[in-house]
Amino acid sequence: MPSEETKERIIKAVDLGRTILHYGWIPFIIYIGYTRSNPQPSLIKLISPLA
Amino acid sequence: MSSPATELKAEASSSHLPLVGPFANLYNRFSSWRHSLDLPNPGTVENIQKEVKATHLTNFFFDGGRADLTKSVSLNPAFQVTHSFAFGSQVAPPSYNFGAVFANNNLFLQGGMDNEGNLNMRFNQGWTPNNVTKVHGQISSQVGHSHQPLPSRFDWNLLGGLLTITSTSYLAKYTSTDKSWIATAQVQSSGILQATYWQKLSDKVDVAADLQMIAAPARRDAVATLGAKYDLRMSTFRAQLDSTGKVSALLEQRFAPTFAFMVAGEIDHFKNSAKVGVGVMLESTTLTPEEMGMPPQGGMPYPPAP
Repeated sequence: MPSEETKERIIKAVDLGRTILHYGWIPFIIYIGYTRSNPQPSLIKLISPLA
Repeated sequence: MSSPATELKAEASSSHLPLVGPFANLYNRFSSWRHSLDLPNPGTVENIQKEVKATHLTNFFFDGGRADLTKSVSLNPAFQVTHSFAFGSQVAPPSYNFGAVFANNNLFLQGGMDNEGNLNMRFNQGWTPNNVTKVHGQISSQVGHSHQPLPSRFDWNLLGGLLTITSTSYLAKYTSTDKSWIATAQVQSSGILQATYWQKLSDKVDVAADLQMIAAPARRDAVATLGAKYDLRMSTFRAQLDSTGKVSALLEQRFAPTFAFMVAGEIDHFKNSAKVGVGVMLESTTLTPEEMGMPPQGGMPYPPAP
């Protein structure tokens, strides 16, 4: 049976992981796409809806 | 001459065999039995109603105005970003959604985030031709409720079978030999029964019927839906009628390979209400025609999940 402290630490770690996934997933896809695209696009063309 | 250590190792590995043996044996018997039946692969659980869902306009209908701007950045590997704007709907507030898709031969990454900060994600990784790991999740951000656990959902799909943690479903699918019609049935342990029928009448016309029954203790309900889809050269037309008194239609007209116009309408005869939607889909690319080697591909803003 894990102690209260361990439980709290696990909850905090899961929460942190979820936050990273939440705000990091789309930047991660854009990074992967940007670095592996052929030919490599300019970053402004990637983000702006009008460019 | 062998040392005592190697003898010990050999003994240890052979003592594992009785543990694994029966399972390997059972697996082999099961797979040979499956081979002897010689049935075609029915496909995955999530695709069981794929044809019906593509024919009905339930998943395509919208009201108010919307604009989808898709930008293809690369073709191989496929990489595109989408900006979607929706406004003026009777049922939903104005929204903006940013999406990114990356796909190569065995990796598929998709993400979408709306103006409220809700994330939709999809991750598929193919290991071998018939072994795929799929992760599908939604994370929503609720401002001011940071102490409550955030509602999030993850489905894991391994080896083509769905490992559903919360509920069990029984599914059946029958495809005719020439694949011109498909019937499916589905029973969920929560008391939902769904039967569908799809038929390809000609090259350009598909029809589909769907009957959904809910027999939960708190709620008993049934909805029948009948729909047809016409695929014409530059347009797609869907019409649908259901037992709740709704008649709806959707026209997608493509004027140029990169520009499509959509009109949707729905009349609810029982509630005496109507909804109308107008939308545009614009596709642009940063690639020159020479870099693509072909004219830009038309279609939906997202490529279908592999």
